[in-house]
Amino acid sequence: MNDARTEILKAIGKVPGNPATIAAQAQRLRAGACRPDRVNGPADEVFIERLRSPGVAATAERVATMQDFPDAVRRYLAAHQLAPALALQPHPDLQALDWSGIATHEHIATDEPAAVGLALGGIAETGSLVFHSSSVSPTLFCFLPLHHIVAVRASQIWPWLEDYADAFAGCAQPRNVNLITGASGTTDIEGTLVRGAHGPGWLHAVLIGNA
Amino acid sequence: MSHTPDFNTRVAAALANPTLKVAIERTTGTARTKRAAAMAAWPEFPAARALGRDIKDHVIENLAHYLVEFEKNAVAAGTKVHWARSGEEACQIVVDICRKAKAKSVTRAKSMLGEEIGLPHALEAAGLERVETDLAEHIIQLAGDPPSHIVWPALHKTREQVAELFRAHHRDPGAMATVEAMVASARRQLREKFMAADVGISGANFLIADTGAVCTVTNEGNAELTTTPPRIHIVTAGIEKLVPSTAHAMAMLRLLVRSATGAELTQYTTFHNGPKRAEDRDGPDEFHVVLVDAGRTRMLNEGLAEMLRCIRCGACLNHCVVYRQIGGHAYGATYPGPMGSVLTPVLDGLEQAQDLPRACTLNGQCQEVCPVAIPLPTLLRGWREKSWQRGFEPATVRWALVLWRFMAMRPRLYEFAGNLGLRIMPLFSRGGWISRMPMAGGWTAHRDMPSPSGGTFLAQYRRRFKK
Repeated sequence: MNDARTEILKAIGKVPGNPATIAAQAQRLRAGACRPDRVNGPADEVFIERLRSPGVAATAERVATMQDFPDAVRRYLAAHQLAPALALQPHPDLQALDWSGIATHEHIATDEPAAVGLALGGIAETGSLVFHSSSVSPTLFCFLPLHHIVAVRASQIWPWLEDYADAFAGCAQPRNVNLITGASGTTDIEGTLVRGAHGPGWLHAVLIGNA
Repeated sequence: MSHTPDFNTRVAAALANPTLKVAIERTTGTARTKRAAAMAAWPEFPAARALGRDIKDHVIENLAHYLVEFEKNAVAAGTKVHWARSGEEACQIVVDICRKAKAKSVTRAKSMLGEEIGLPHALEAAGLERVETDLAEHIIQLAGDPPSHIVWPALHKTREQVAELFRAHHRDPGAMATVEAMVASARRQLREKFMAADVGISGANFLIADTGAVCTVTNEGNAELTTTPPRIHIVTAGIEKLVPSTAHAMAMLRLLVRSATGAELTQYTTFHNGPKRAEDRDGPDEFHVVLVDAGRTRMLNEGLAEMLRCIRCGACLNHCVVYRQIGGHAYGATYPGPMGSVLTPVLDGLEQAQDLPRACTLNGQCQEVCPVAIPLPTLLRGWREKSWQRGFEPATVRWALVLWRFMAMRPRLYEFAGNLGLRIMPLFSRGGWISRMPMAGGWTAHRDMPSPSGGTFLAQYRRRFKK
C-alpha cells in the first residue's frame, strides 16, 4: 500500500504548494453571484414552496408547535388509509409527544409501512431535509419506510446549500449526512419518472413553528 | 472492459437494431429537454460553469496536497484509506477485504469507476455473490449486458424487454403492465438482499478534502441501503474526485445534477464519514476508501489534465449526434460518447481505441453543454493527431491525405481538379440528386448527394469579389 501511495504522489510530479496559499485560493472559489435565483424570500417560506414544487414533489404543511405534530401524523395516516402504527425515530423530542391512538415502535422493519422522524433542519434553496446520523437518528429510518413523515423546525432552515455547509465547517462530522430532497425515484426505464424506488415512496414534511 | 477492434462492425449492428434508436431517444431526449429547462431557469450558468472549471483545475493543480489532506481527515474519522496504482490493484484490495471478512454476498451501488476497473468481474471471480442494487444495473446484470450510458446504464432496453427479464428472473413479478409495476417488483426482489449482504460497495461523486467524507448522489435510495446495513462499506474512487470542502461540493452539485437529469438536486445527497460510531444504532463496522489512479496521473502528465475535470454527468452523451445514433455498446468501452472517446485511449491504449476519436463530427455540442467546460473536441483532435503521428491510420486514409496535401499546396491544380469534379458529377445526377457514383459509395449508401451547381468555391469567390 505504501508503495502505491508513494508512487501515485510521485507520479503527480509536483511538490505540494504552501497550504496557506492553497487555502486562500480555495476560499476565492466560492459560489456567490452565480447561484440560481432561488432564495428570494424568508427561508422557511421558500423551503416549503420548494418542497411542494414539481421537481421535489413532496407534500408539506405547517403547524404551530411540536405538540401539534402527532395530530398532523394522525391526519396523514387517515388520509392515506394507513394503519395507526409506525416506527418512531428514537429522538427524545419525538418520544416526549402524545402519540395516543398510534402504536409506535423503535425498531424499523425492512418493509416498514410508515416512519416518523425529526430532521436536524432544512435547506430552502433545494427543499432538502437534513439528517445527521446519531444515536437518536439512525440512517435506515430515512430509507426503509414506504411513507416518511418528517418534522422540521422552521427556525432551522438554512437559505443556501453553502449556509448549511458553513454551519458545520470545522466541526466534528457525523458518520452520515443525508440531504433528502423528495421521495425516492427512478428514471432508469425509458427515462420515465417513477416515485418509490428502493427508498420511501411518499415524503411528507411538517414545518414546526415560525422562523 | 476491453476494447475490441471491430468498431465498424459494432456500429453497423447498432444502426441495424430496430429498437435501439427508439430506446436511446426516449431517455436522452427527455434528458435534453429537462436540462434545457433547468438551464433556462439559471441565467447565471456560464459563471457557475466557469467556477466549476476553476474549482476542478485548482484541485488538479494541487492534487497531492488535497489527497494527503483527505487521507489525514478520513483516517482521523476511522476510515481505512488504501491506494491503488491500477484497476487490478484496486480490485485485489477490495477482494482481499471481502475475503478477510469471510464475506459471502456483496451489494453494489452504481459506480462507473467500478465498471472501469472490472470490479463486478473480480468479485464474481472471487466467488462472491454480487447483487447490483441500482435499478438499471440490476436490469443489465439480469441481461448480462455491459452498461450503455454512464447515468442510465440500461438505456438500451425498452420497457417491454425489461418486463420480459423481470418475468423470467423475479420471485414475484406480478403483471408487469406498467413501469411502476416493474419498479415495485425490483423493490420486492432486492429488499432482503440489502439487509443480508456482508459488504456494501459504492463509488464517490466527490471526496471532501477538509472533512475526509465521501459524497454520493442517487435518486433511488439504493446507495444508502447498500452502504448502511452491511458490516463493511468499501468505496472505490478515482483520485480526481477531490474538492476542497463541503461548500465547494455544493457548487459542483448544482452543476452535476442539472446537467445530468435537469433536477436541482438528486433525492439523496449523502456524505459518508468513517465507520459506525460507538453511539450509532446502524452503519458499517468498517469503512474503507480505495483511492485509484488507473491512468489519471498519466493524463495529468500527457496533456489531458482538462479531462480530469469530468464529473460524469453524461450531458455530452445525451447531446452527441453520434452517440444518439449508435448508443453506448458500439463504443466497446466502459465510457461511451465524447467523454469516453477521450478517456478510452488512455485506459485501453490508442492503438486499440483509435476509431473512437474519429467517430465524432466535431460539432462542439459536447463542449457547449459540459458543466466544467472540458474542450472535448480539442482533446479528440489531439488523439487524432497522435494517431496520425504513430501511423495508426489505414494506408488508404494516409495516401488520400498525402494526395490532398499535394493538391492543396498547388492552388491551380486544386481548382483544375475541382472543376473536373464539377463536370463529372452531374453525369451521375438524376433529378438534381446523386444516389450512386464511383468512389462515393460510403456516402451514397445511406443518403443522396445534391448535384453540384454554381461553380467551385474559388470561382464563386472571385465573382463576388469583383462586384
